[in-house]
Amino acid sequence: MTSFFDVLLGGVFHASVLFLVAAGLQLVFGVQRIVNLACGSFYALGAYFGITAVNWSTAHGAPAWSFLPVLVLSGVLLGAIGPVIERLLRTVYKRDEAFQLLLTFALVLMFQDVLRFFWGATPQQLGNLSMSYGKLAIGEVSFPTYNVLVMAASIAIAVSLGLFLQRTRYGRILRATAENREMAEALGADVRGIYASVFTLGTVLGTVGGALVVPTAAASLDMPVELVVEAFAVVVIGGLGSMRGAVAGALVVGLTRALAISFYAELEVLAIYVIVIAVLIARPAGLFGKPVE
Amino acid sequence: MSALPKRSALVAFVALAVAVLAVLPHLAEPYYVTLVLPAFAYAIALLGFNLLFGTTGLLSFGHALFVAIGAYSTAVLTSKMGVKSFEAIVLVSGVVAVLAAVPVALLSVRYVRIFFGILTLAFGMLFHSFLFKFYDLTGGDTGIRVLRPTLLGMPFAELDKTAFLIGPFYYACLLLLVLLGLAMWRVVHSPFGLQLVAIRENPRKAEYLGVRVRLFRFLAFLISAFYCAVGGAILAINTGQADPELAYWTHSGELVFMTVLGGFASFFGPLVGAFAFIFLKSELMGATQYWRFFLGATLALIVIGFPRGLMGVASDLWRKACRA
Amino acid sequence: MSTTSELLIEALGVRKAYGAFVALDGVSLTVSASETVAIVGPNGAGKTTLVNLLTGLLKPTDGVVRFKGHDIAGIGPVTLAQRGMARAFQLVHIFPAMTVAETIAVAVVSQTGRSLHLFASLRRDAALWAKVREVAAIFGLEGKLETESRLLSQGEKKLLDIASAFALVPEVILLDEPTSGVSSGDKHGIMTTLVAASKRAGVKAIILVEHDMDLVAEYATRIVALQAGKVLADRTPDAFFGDPDIVAAIVGRRVGQSRENA
Repeated sequence: MTSFFDVLLGGVFHASVLFLVAAGLQLVFGVQRIVNLACGSFYALGAYFGITAVNWSTAHGAPAWSFLPVLVLSGVLLGAIGPVIERLLRTVYKRDEAFQLLLTFALVLMFQDVLRFFWGATPQQLGNLSMSYGKLAIGEVSFPTYNVLVMAASIAIAVSLGLFLQRTRYGRILRATAENREMAEALGADVRGIYASVFTLGTVLGTVGGALVVPTAAASLDMPVELVVEAFAVVVIGGLGSMRGAVAGALVVGLTRALAISFYAELEVLAIYVIVIAVLIARPAGLFGKPVE
Repeated sequence: MSALPKRSALVAFVALAVAVLAVLPHLAEPYYVTLVLPAFAYAIALLGFNLLFGTTGLLSFGHALFVAIGAYSTAVLTSKMGVKSFEAIVLVSGVVAVLAAVPVALLSVRYVRIFFGILTLAFGMLFHSFLFKFYDLTGGDTGIRVLRPTLLGMPFAELDKTAFLIGPFYYACLLLLVLLGLAMWRVVHSPFGLQLVAIRENPRKAEYLGVRVRLFRFLAFLISAFYCAVGGAILAINTGQADPELAYWTHSGELVFMTVLGGFASFFGPLVGAFAFIFLKSELMGATQYWRFFLGATLALIVIGFPRGLMGVASDLWRKACRA
Repeated sequence: MSTTSELLIEALGVRKAYGAFVALDGVSLTVSASETVAIVGPNGAGKTTLVNLLTGLLKPTDGVVRFKGHDIAGIGPVTLAQRGMARAFQLVHIFPAMTVAETIAVAVVSQTGRSLHLFASLRRDAALWAKVREVAAIFGLEGKLETESRLLSQGEKKLLDIASAFALVPEVILLDEPTSGVSSGDKHGIMTTLVAASKRAGVKAIILVEHDMDLVAEYATRIVALQAGKVLADRTPDAFFGDPDIVAAIVGRRVGQSRENA
């Protein structure tokens, strides 16, 4: 029983991190209609930079418990690359989607070596830092507090994003631009500014996600391309462009992976993609997506 | 459908290219000749890929799946089933890919544009995970060995690996490229090809003109799968190994890269792209450990500045030259 | 002595409802050979729904639509074309990168059943291109055969759109506001071309959806007026325009709305 809960919580933890990246993907697709293949690269960048930030801060006397806020902060700071990348993507906004997709693929290739250049080819990690918050015990089940904090943070972010999109003025403008760009523009929305902000927000979600995962996993050069595999499963299952879809998809993928690994390791990604295909057959737009074609 | 040089000029160009390729093994260093083999493989694969992309307008981000099927079919045929005939291998690999393409295509052609791309990416990754994880069946991350095939029944046992590859096998691949290229030329310039272009340009109007959009997309998909598998077979024989990474999504991305590099709007674009990419990658890998960065930068440059690829640049220059 | 004209389209008691909203209620009409039937009525009267039903794009909630005796509910555009009905839309549809000749060729290829000829040479198919030239000439496009569609003027694009529909050699052609977007000077020219072309191409009947009542008066053999989902009138132009109530109902409703859709 305990191991089942462990597996479950592990799956939810993974889902929490996936959700952050997927939310970024959904935002960018929803508003800008761009599928950002480089989402995994931002995630990896967040992971590597997070490790560097924590090591730097500890070397400069920061207390051991501060690593969580340091990670979050470093992830947010990395958002500065958002506007830069967006500016690059702006050159192909008016073009066919194929070119936009290809440009993000070019970014994936370039980022691979940027990461290699700054951090080298050996995977990096933060040791046992995730345990420094101790464990939470509920009955017989105990789980690292850090993981619980991350899950809580992810939920908090999900709720805030939801409220932001639904209740604030800017959120409404974002949704309007997502529905109908020309109309929003005609009504005075600063679409250029919106695109830049949305992309940056999407980037930050990815970098923070990567930063939050490093205490529990190593940062490696495989991360950028590996994450895309799962992130795509999330958005396809959940439905492209839908925030609720990001939550649902993340949970499905996270839990499936956790269950698959514990029962029959070979099945891992296969199981996820079987579900992806099944969802696509049964409900082509994904669980929460808008009907397509 | 853009301005092409006269037919006779085209034929002359192609004949020249084939002639150059034919004498290359005798003129160039073996290292460069060994590079031409994957270029042949990708040239064939991309001929098929571009039928779907350039002609029919569907961008697949999962076609490496069929390249991998070609490679693994070859591996299974040669090392597990004792089938060594290159001709049989090519045919069987192609047919297996077409069979595999049927369910993928049936599902995918319901969608267009980005959704088609994502769906195909999903299928590609599904296959990759299958190849990677099911060690007993597929050799897992090591893959399966590929043994040397016979050409027209001849084993060329007296030749070592390199001599075989840059000798008889090279010519077999060149011949295959020419034959498959001619076949694809016919298809693209047939009534069927015309309807495919109509589907690309305006699927709704095409329907009203009696074109069965879904069926034709489906057929184009199957043909593209066949060609990709043949390319995969050549790749596998060249390296001696069928590797699961052949099915990874980034490999599919490279297929698109090569096509756009050469120019997706031209029949010869993918061929030029395959050769250009292989040589570019090889030169970059030799020059720096950060070759991926420069490769990516090249793609970004093409996408932003030269979307019609090398053939686009060439045709612009040709037009300027004609006016001068 | 009058000969009974071949009955081509038959709509009987057709009703189309979307939930509580009833777009068409008990509409019946026929279209026979040699007729040019104009469907008129204000926006929202149900013209589009009726046309979509007559062309097999929709299934009626009630009633039946038959083309040459067969029920065509929901058959879709491809089967429609195969059965012998073509449709041209109000918004011009072209294949931007294809030339005029190629565009028309698409229709000829499907109509002659050559779509699946994967290895036949397109270039050397003399019969195909002869037919293409023939159709292009009917519409005055023979000088533009090698021009890419996106480079044509709006009027030429419209002609091409309709020409490609004609190339299907349909028995019935449905034209959705064929002169919209065309300057008033050209409208009559286009209509005359269309009617003449139809005769030459062997089209047996034309269905016209039009707002321009002058054109309707001149070219239609029968006018079907829709109002709020029902048939208000189904008469010859003389009978139609001779009835002040009907005219007021159709024209009067549209006061303040420009009739020139240029």
